Amino acid sequence: MADEVRTAQPKEFYRKYLEQGVRPDNRELGEFRPTVLDIGSKNGSCISTAEGSALIRLGNTIVICGIKGELAEPKTETPTEGYLVPNVELSAVCSPQFRPGPPSEQAQVLSQFVANVLKNSQCVELEDLCIAPGKMVWVLYADLICLDYDGNVADACVLALTAALSNTSLPVVRVDEETGKTETDFKEEKKIQLTCTPISATSAIFEDNVLLVDPTRQEEELSTGLVTVVTDGKNICSLEKPGGSPLKDQQMRLCIERAFQRHTEACNLITQSQGSTLSTLTSPLVDR
Amino acid sequence: MVDVNLSEAEKTFIVHGIQDNFREDGRSNEEYRQMDLETGLMSNTSGSARLRLANTEILVGVKAELEEPKPEKPDVGRLEFFVDCSANAAPEFEGRGGEELATEMMNLLYRAYSASTVLDVSSLCLQSGKLCWVLYVDVLLLECGGNLFDAASIAVKAALFNTKIPSVKVRQEEGEETELEVSDDPYDVRRLDVSAAPTVLTLSKIGHNHIVDASQKEEACCLARLMMAVTASGSVTATVKEGRGSLDPDSITEMMQVGKRVGKAVNEKLLETLKEEEQKGLKRKTVGFLR
Amino acid sequence: MPDTRRITGPEETQSPFAFCPQFLAQSAEAFSDGKRRDGRKAEADHRPVFLKAGLISQAKGSAFAELDKTKVVCAVYGPHEVARREDFSMQGQISCEVKFAPFSCRVRRQHVQDGREKDLSTQLLEALEPAVRLDSFPKSQVDVFVTVLENDGSALSAAITCASLALADAGIEMYDLVVACTARIHGTSILVDPSFSEENLKTVSGEKPGGQVTLGFMPSLRQVSALCYHGDTDLDVLSQATQRCQDTCHKLYQVVQDTLVKSVEQRMNNS
Repeated sequence: MADEVRTAQPKEFYRKYLEQGVRPDNRELGEFRPTVLDIGSKNGSCISTAEGSALIRLGNTIVICGIKGELAEPKTETPTEGYLVPNVELSAVCSPQFRPGPPSEQAQVLSQFVANVLKNSQCVELEDLCIAPGKMVWVLYADLICLDYDGNVADACVLALTAALSNTSLPVVRVDEETGKTETDFKEEKKIQLTCTPISATSAIFEDNVLLVDPTRQEEELSTGLVTVVTDGKNICSLEKPGGSPLKDQQMRLCIERAFQRHTEACNLITQSQGSTLSTLTSPLVDR
Repeated sequence: MVDVNLSEAEKTFIVHGIQDNFREDGRSNEEYRQMDLETGLMSNTSGSARLRLANTEILVGVKAELEEPKPEKPDVGRLEFFVDCSANAAPEFEGRGGEELATEMMNLLYRAYSASTVLDVSSLCLQSGKLCWVLYVDVLLLECGGNLFDAASIAVKAALFNTKIPSVKVRQEEGEETELEVSDDPYDVRRLDVSAAPTVLTLSKIGHNHIVDASQKEEACCLARLMMAVTASGSVTATVKEGRGSLDPDSITEMMQVGKRVGKAVNEKLLETLKEEEQKGLKRKTVGFLR
Repeated sequence: MPDTRRITGPEETQSPFAFCPQFLAQSAEAFSDGKRRDGRKAEADHRPVFLKAGLISQAKGSAFAELDKTKVVCAVYGPHEVARREDFSMQGQISCEVKFAPFSCRVRRQHVQDGREKDLSTQLLEALEPAVRLDSFPKSQVDVFVTVLENDGSALSAAITCASLALADAGIEMYDLVVACTARIHGTSILVDPSFSEENLKTVSGEKPGGQVTLGFMPSLRQVSALCYHGDTDLDVLSQATQRCQDTCHKLYQVVQDTLVKSVEQRMNNS
């Protein structure tokens, strides 16, 4: 009976649950779905061909982030700064609504969101990525691939990216000043230092007055607006509210509070996963 | 592949005939149809060939260009294949219709020529890491009459045999720029050694038997085919199974044995014909194409 | 060509591997101390395989395959209406797409599908078509999407096995499961399930370059659904290699079947 109501009248279905202050998947309004993070062991990442990687499972949503480093000439205006290029891919694998081909509008919006988070939080010092000023710098390509789209991909992407960056190590590249020859030394490694850990928390606005944190795909579809707050533990790095129903002052403060709470949770999760000996992709995916 | 609509009765007729080693046009299972080959038709190319296999017509042009070699392989030149299924050949090829078939053919050609022993690509390199010859092989499908892959590969081999690369000397003095000296003499050219180059042989499985050089009607009855790239010495450089049906592992071994035997014979005959044509020199009569 | 839909970095970049002479120098030795490069003892040893079906909640059917380090994910959607109405046919159609993640190989790959990926997509289609009962979904199309998350050799065979497991998980009627295996012929040795470094072994001077053969096999029916080989070897060595692949496929079949049974049991427990 419940399934029929859910399909025929989804809003009614949700309303009944929300009246009791609970959601259909047994969560409270301010609770995140169980998050599993796999960063890989201390000596390597979960994807060995990438310089840094992380896999995150937020409920059913799965996002994998891989960081690859390449070398390039810096821009003339900023000769000591490297590049950090994020890209979110919502491929045909993750949901029937995405077709193979160039990135959809949603993917482009997410990519821009992640780029903004990186720029505003300044979690990676671009000067750290410099090898030889004016001649050679590192370009870090952060590719995020969504494997299962069940809502709140934005939070999953930010968490995966932060986790992957926290475990990225690049080989040492030396440029000989006299001959101009470049040499890569894979035996030595340099770890990327993060200045802060940006973590986001998205809330969906349901019928103008209820805020559901970490919405599933169905909740996103029924929502009348979304709010994303990105914090680094002390300050707010970014706040996105692309249209949607208006929020009162109090509700906005609630979202920000939840974001700070999430930050502490997520940082604990990252530190735990880093120390663990899980080194394969299989553990999070097995627990289904 | 371009399909012809056949009724069940026609299909049964063809299958039964092949069982008795007697095909629709009177050939045996391992016989090729009449082939006409001509090389050196187009003056703007470094090498060209035209092949007519019953109703299939293929035109291949080879152009040699000087470019930088790939960074992973700085000491060798390379071959780049491009297949164009012209709308002349079949109405389905209009616009982007022929792309699937073209990609399949290109992939097979790349595979067949991927081994290093097939063509001496290291001799195509002039300056390690900086300059090498890249041979652009363009295959044009003018008419479809069945067995396109075989015809294309034979034409490609003939065109490569016919290719004349101008002799270039590289001179580099200390601290100065590299100078290229191209010989003035139009007959001072380098030829390629194609004796180890492969040709593709398609074996189509019809019923319990397999045939070589299927016509369009026979292709419509066939559910699975095995395409093998065989060289004159009998070694196989590429094998791809194609089609909606599956094959028995024993029949694959059988088909490969037949393929090796017939492939060797085709390669030998081809080289013989090419050398004969070369010897005739300017005295030979050119027929042209789309007769 | 500038990709206006993605955030682009600088126009020209180079991989750090281009400047490392040790990486560029490929070895010709397949064995060291009697073991293969990644520690396996025998030529015919397959790497440990982990398979899981039904992991993507949004897809009709899905599977994940892990061959030691090679990781492949597959999602199946459909059957749904054919994309182009002119492609009406009484037999169903399958469309396959193989994509390597940009971070799956040592040298970063581009987002756009390149020639090699298109080639693998065609090979995957060839392998799956004979096994699927196409007449069970006329006028319809089934989409198979494969993403290779990490490539450490034998990506095509992992993709084929993963895709057929996903199709079975989606409930598409099939004659049999397709199990695939790759073998690398190097000189006189036949290395089953080569890792990436084994796939790129340099030719031993004086010997034939060898080659690589991938076999897609349906073990219950004892039929070959796909055969793909390139290189330069003798016919008998090639036959030997395909025989080895067949034997390995028989062994893998059991693992694939067990995975499928487990996922069905899980589904029944959940509902």
